[in-house]
Amino acid sequence: MFPHSAVLVAERGPIPAKAGIGLRFPHHQAVIDTRPDIAWLEIHTENYMGGGAPARCLEAIRRDYPISCHGVGLSLGSAQCLDRAHLERIRRTIERFEPGLVSEHLSWSIIGGHYLADLLPLPMTEEALEVMCRHVDQTQAYLQRRILIENPSSYLRYRHSTIPECEFLAAVAARTGCGILCDVNNIFVSASNHGWDPHAYLAALPPVAIGEIHLAGHTVRQLDDGKVIRIDDHGARVIPEVWMLYAEALDRFGPIPTLIEWDTNIPALDVLLGEGGRAAAVLDRVGKRVSHADAA
Amino acid sequence: MPTLLDLQHAVHRSLVARNDAELASHIIPDGLAPQSRLNIYRNTFVGTLTTALRLSFPAVYRLVGAAFFESAARIFIEAEPPDSAYLDDYGETFPDFLARFAPAASLSYLPDVARLEWCVNRALHALDVEPLDLARLAAIDPQDQSRVGFVPCPSIGLVRSTYPVDAIWRAVLAQDDDAMSKIDLRSDPVWLLIERRKSGVDVIRCTAQAWRFASELFATRPLEAAIDAAPGVDASILLADHLAAGRLVDFKFVDLAGANAPEVNP
Repeated sequence: MFPHSAVLVAERGPIPAKAGIGLRFPHHQAVIDTRPDIAWLEIHTENYMGGGAPARCLEAIRRDYPISCHGVGLSLGSAQCLDRAHLERIRRTIERFEPGLVSEHLSWSIIGGHYLADLLPLPMTEEALEVMCRHVDQTQAYLQRRILIENPSSYLRYRHSTIPECEFLAAVAARTGCGILCDVNNIFVSASNHGWDPHAYLAALPPVAIGEIHLAGHTVRQLDDGKVIRIDDHGARVIPEVWMLYAEALDRFGPIPTLIEWDTNIPALDVLLGEGGRAAAVLDRVGKRVSHADAA
Repeated sequence: MPTLLDLQHAVHRSLVARNDAELASHIIPDGLAPQSRLNIYRNTFVGTLTTALRLSFPAVYRLVGAAFFESAARIFIEAEPPDSAYLDDYGETFPDFLARFAPAASLSYLPDVARLEWCVNRALHALDVEPLDLARLAAIDPQDQSRVGFVPCPSIGLVRSTYPVDAIWRAVLAQDDDAMSKIDLRSDPVWLLIERRKSGVDVIRCTAQAWRFASELFATRPLEAAIDAAPGVDASILLADHLAAGRLVDFKFVDLAGANAPEVNP
């Protein structure tokens, strides 16, 4: 088990409890040229594992902004061994860009040496919990730092699952000392798709383990029988219901670094900054309440 | 109850081979057929990787059109999924797939355009490596010089084609119909060196002899083998050019059979 420790969290360039946005290639030059007013930026780790122009742009950008590294490809939930070569690429990327936070997902994507290019759902079983914890332990030991684990959106459930996802995630954090990246949009999407109570989901997460929050837009697909399924495509603005759930999350957890993600139909940088501004306003209100409470 | 490993193999069969038979029985329908639920993941699997290939092979995409590209990409993806999420590395075998892909047979130059694009892609994303320190070369004992095998910069690529694929590639990406119409497919073969410079990726035409020398040199074959492969060229000038351009980043001592001697670290 990896110990909880303030030293491990306080890496160089800590991520402030403010609003950030996902850094995407089409915005590199605009960020470099205009130095927008945003507290921090998050990259997809896999997009900066090579050299050349992307890495050079990020070198320039990170002089002015704290950076967080968010991975999609480690496949911590694979029944087979972790991909050591990918873990080493992550380690090198972290060494180069010195992120304040490093995160991955409660999911799997590799079997038999093939990467299936999605965050695939785990069966919520004791066996999967053991696999997940073993791989989080190995990753934290290899990277010599704490990581955050994010709850994914999902579109199916397995018959043999026995543990609610929120309890599974809390157990991974408790057993490995990892933090939780609470994706509020994913909670809303999965809760809607599976008939869960999103408020109970938030309430089941340990506030001390929450290291980051994600917000994004999703699409709603109408089914023939009038039902809907929500697809997490990060291709639109955050919807009002998710903003409300976000405010509830901050009430529970206090001010937490919050990221706006947008990956398909990427809009102009200003649109993302506008969404970031909305998150910042919610964070401000909670921050003021917290400081009033401290003073009282 | 399936083990986690068995379940993950069943998901592989579902997403890659479109065989949902076993997996569907483990999924709760809850108002939507398991196959429809799996289609959501299958669409992401194929869609994400198709996008990755489209970004790495933009000229191939334009040459064959969106519908053709997507159907070819799907067959390739299902036959040869990537081995990791580092997708800049995915697609090295796509040119060979296109060469075997019967519906593309009428575009005889397509596989070589794809080979050129793969080298351009690799040049764009290759790790940054410092060029060889020339002082290390100068310190080599003269009797060992013929055994020197150079390690190329990872951004370097070499392509040869019986078609003028560099001209095709430029015209397609520039959407220059006029240039495209002037290309003579029966013109001389091209011998290309692809590399990343500070300003971007360069595709340079070489002579056949210089290309043969470079291909031996960049394969870390001993210098003597590179010289033998290109009779009649001034190897010292070519080598000096490669060194000056920073195309060589390290060297080892190798014998002519290709077995590597221990790396030197002067």
